[in-house]
Amino acid sequence: MTAQEAGLDGEFRQQVLDTMTTVLARLLDRSEPVTEDMRLAEELGLSSTFGLELLLEVEDQLMILIDVEVMDADQMKTVGDLATFVAGHSRPG
Amino acid sequence: MTALEAVSVYLPQTRVPIESLAGPLGLTDMQVKLFRRFHGLREVGRDPDASAYDLLMKAAAGLDALRGREHRVRYVLYARTMPVAGPYPVNPLHEVCRALGLGHALAFTVTHQSCASGLLAIDMAGRLLAADEAGPSDGQGAPLALILSGEKAFTREAQVFADTTVFGEGAAACLVSAFGARDRMLAYASSVRGDFDSDTGANDARLQREYRPSLAEVMRRALDEAGLTLDDIRVVLPHNVNLVTWQRMCVLLEFPRDRVVLDNIATSGHVFCADMFANYRTACERGLLQPGDRYLAAAVGAGGGATFAAMVFEH
Repeated sequence: MTAQEAGLDGEFRQQVLDTMTTVLARLLDRSEPVTEDMRLAEELGLSSTFGLELLLEVEDQLMILIDVEVMDADQMKTVGDLATFVAGHSRPG
Repeated sequence: MTALEAVSVYLPQTRVPIESLAGPLGLTDMQVKLFRRFHGLREVGRDPDASAYDLLMKAAAGLDALRGREHRVRYVLYARTMPVAGPYPVNPLHEVCRALGLGHALAFTVTHQSCASGLLAIDMAGRLLAADEAGPSDGQGAPLALILSGEKAFTREAQVFADTTVFGEGAAACLVSAFGARDRMLAYASSVRGDFDSDTGANDARLQREYRPSLAEVMRRALDEAGLTLDDIRVVLPHNVNLVTWQRMCVLLEFPRDRVVLDNIATSGHVFCADMFANYRTACERGLLQPGDRYLAAAVGAGGGATFAAMVFEH
């Protein structure tokens, strides 16, 4: 589903995605770029602890609060899935 | 049928903010922020002047149902997260037994299922008592067991668990009978997963991935055994590992968050094996349980492998 189809602000989702890929590359100490279609667990080896650290940094950098309590972590397969969730389930912090 | 006759809990008045533990425990700013923002851990109880013996005695002091029935207590089970609870030769369990007039009881520690040892102790106590009741009567009245839980957060390992939880001090005392009428245990299910054991942390990522599905599986298995579904459950009494784990469990189980007793996580932290008992008291005090209501207690013990456990009761 595209950001538009999900009724999201495409510009904000892109901002979330850009922040996430930058933070992920740093957290995971990757020299190669992190892209939207990469799978969080299988490809990037992201644990749930690192996942929370990622969300915390995204919150700090974008000054938002993410509604983690409604997140179905099992449905967050790719970096793009997570960016779409964050863009649709956050508010100014 | 195993039943909880009475439950008493002691949680220290002194609360320590998570931030103040950062220095002594070597936590980074990020770890502290994670604990507070997502794990919902704001402070933990500490009773610096109390020994493990003192903590257990303070819990037992509130167990009015024990008074005058000491002679009926055949077993005292100390359910513990940590295999070692104090420096040798200190043995708080036997000291407590002597102080409570329970020197005649068979006293032993239940451990090696970490924070799931509390539920195991309830099941063991019920089985031991039921076996005794099947034998000739001693004319002393129905036998009872006393379950104790609660530990000192006295080492780094007993204060914080990876990026998952912070332990708080406190204690619980619970009187168990084999065939009592109140808070009857309807089912118990557990899954002991030695395959998660590792000295190097090599299995930690897999444990994180399988944690919630494994806990959901034992919860459903306990419900199946009781002939119930989650729709029949009034409240869930969780282990207080952290908030986000239970928020995600609720999404996974499609169970309303407001029916999981999460009140104590923010102010007490993870009180070892005493969580279930503390949350039971909170549920009663908040009027969440009416006679006949079914509720489910769930716990995960991690460390040296992992144990997932769930127990269904009727109030």
